[in-house]
Amino acid sequence: MPLIDMPDFSTDLLNEFAARRTERVNTPVIQPAEPFLDMAGEDLRRRIFLTESETGANLCLRPEFTIPVCLRHIETATGTPKRYSYLGEVFRQRREGAHEFYQAGIEDLGDKDIARADARAIIDATGILGALLPGGKLELTLGDQAVFEAVVRALGLPLGWQKRLIHAFGDMVHLEALLDRLARPQPVTGLDQEVAELVASGDEAELIARIDRTMQETGYSTNASRSPAEIARRLKEKLELAETRLDGGALLLLREFLTLRLPLAEAPAALAGFADAADLKLGPAIALFDARLAALANAGADVSAMTYRAAFGRPLDYYTGLVFEVTVSGSSAVLAGGGRFDRLLTLLGAKERIPAVGFSLWLDRIEAARAK
Amino acid sequence: MSVLTIALPSKGRIKEDTAAIFERAGLGISAVGNDRSYRGRIDGIESVEITYLSASEIARELANGAVDFGVTGEDLVREGMVGADQKVEFCARLGFGQADVVVAVPEIWLDVETMADLGDVAADFRARHGRRLQIATKYWRLTQQFFSSQHGIQLYRIVESLGATEGAPAAGQADIIVDITSTGSTLRANHLKILSDGVILKSEACLVRARKAAHDDDPRVSRIMEAVRAAL
Repeated sequence: MPLIDMPDFSTDLLNEFAARRTERVNTPVIQPAEPFLDMAGEDLRRRIFLTESETGANLCLRPEFTIPVCLRHIETATGTPKRYSYLGEVFRQRREGAHEFYQAGIEDLGDKDIARADARAIIDATGILGALLPGGKLELTLGDQAVFEAVVRALGLPLGWQKRLIHAFGDMVHLEALLDRLARPQPVTGLDQEVAELVASGDEAELIARIDRTMQETGYSTNASRSPAEIARRLKEKLELAETRLDGGALLLLREFLTLRLPLAEAPAALAGFADAADLKLGPAIALFDARLAALANAGADVSAMTYRAAFGRPLDYYTGLVFEVTVSGSSAVLAGGGRFDRLLTLLGAKERIPAVGFSLWLDRIEAARAK
Repeated sequence: MSVLTIALPSKGRIKEDTAAIFERAGLGISAVGNDRSYRGRIDGIESVEITYLSASEIARELANGAVDFGVTGEDLVREGMVGADQKVEFCARLGFGQADVVVAVPEIWLDVETMADLGDVAADFRARHGRRLQIATKYWRLTQQFFSSQHGIQLYRIVESLGATEGAPAAGQADIIVDITSTGSTLRANHLKILSDGVILKSEACLVRARKAAHDDDPRVSRIMEAVRAAL
């Protein structure tokens, strides 16, 4: 790799990684594109550099490191826990800024002590940034998907609605649209009358048989992805969900929760107060939230520079808990972004569930911040 | 005087309909060389060239700014470039070549009538079937914008389909499709239905101008636009 264009603080960074007992790994620049598109969705397609091999395989220039590092971990099967670090170029189509730039980061795989591993990721990210930006005042924003999930569960909504809301977490526009639907349920229209009567009669077997017959007649069944039973059950669920109305009080609570934004140190008391006032049992999610904060404080992290924002999340289905971003005071540029992705490794093909947390550093933005 | 180029469709109904409108607009076209030539000129306006291309090539040439005007489908223009409205002006909708770009799912998906339904199905798809929901289409840009920006649906995969897209679900190549349809009869014949809020774009043939600074005070440009608009 040509080292000449690497940021001048690369050596400091690598020393930091070594001091933090990580194993530096490299991954090829040219990667199979499927895992990225599968994990992040098609929206990524216009933001990465795609190409094709001679045999037609979809390839792309490495758009980030987490997925390649995790894939490498699964392939090498060297067991957990593992702390990997990386530093290298990534390639993305961006409206602003260069299309190729350096990223570095740590992926912490397999530590079962979730609170400790979360705290360590935050401490590593802020510690490294602190060393690279002496005198800069760092600010950290923290979110927690698990807390949102606990609130949604505690509200007693049907499972289907819980899934919808949890799936939309981190995408405020989508979430607002769902809340509107919960406030003003829309009856399902356009359903064939015979089908509607079958659903109402509760004769699921007949409904499934009917769907199956139609599939056979139309020659669709051979390659059907969704089975008659899946369609029948979701139809029933949909009709139930369409009638779900969240009463004004509960809706207000959910909206109030999403506006929470306060110093991290005050968050446990605020969340406990919120749960008490609303008579919600938030359980283990809050315990973990508190344990993480305690682990941060014990390790001497500057908790006063950290803010909890309840609505902060990433709308990707492999993020499961902590998310965080670090900026430097007076600028909105995100210098480090991280989070917990306990579902990613199994989605990528790992046989067992591997808890994982990590972060990446945007070296071009750090370079710009250092120049100020 | 610099040459102004107008790209017109080289074959089919859209070619005839375009010629008829230009005729009515008083912009008579005469072929350069023989009748089968792919080049022409407009009678009575100096230095305006006609070039005959396929509809998708016209969209591409407009995106590149290689031609000044083109007649082609709005779907092809919007699919072919990011920020179409900044790069080109849709000067006139010509009233033919009407077709909608739509999201269509198997008719037997009785539980899926809206994009919100599809969002629910897509969110669960991987857990149920071990892969993402697959969409067959040639409109991957329009599909992404519609699914991601307008409906917050991220988790699906596009399977590129260059023809006979309506057959993809029955053939097992994809679960649903995004395709262009004028009457919906091909969709119905393939047991597909359009989602109630699944119309991505109502397209038709348009006179499209590549936005160029040189057009600002070129009388030929305004004359062509006005003549075509007046002929509608």
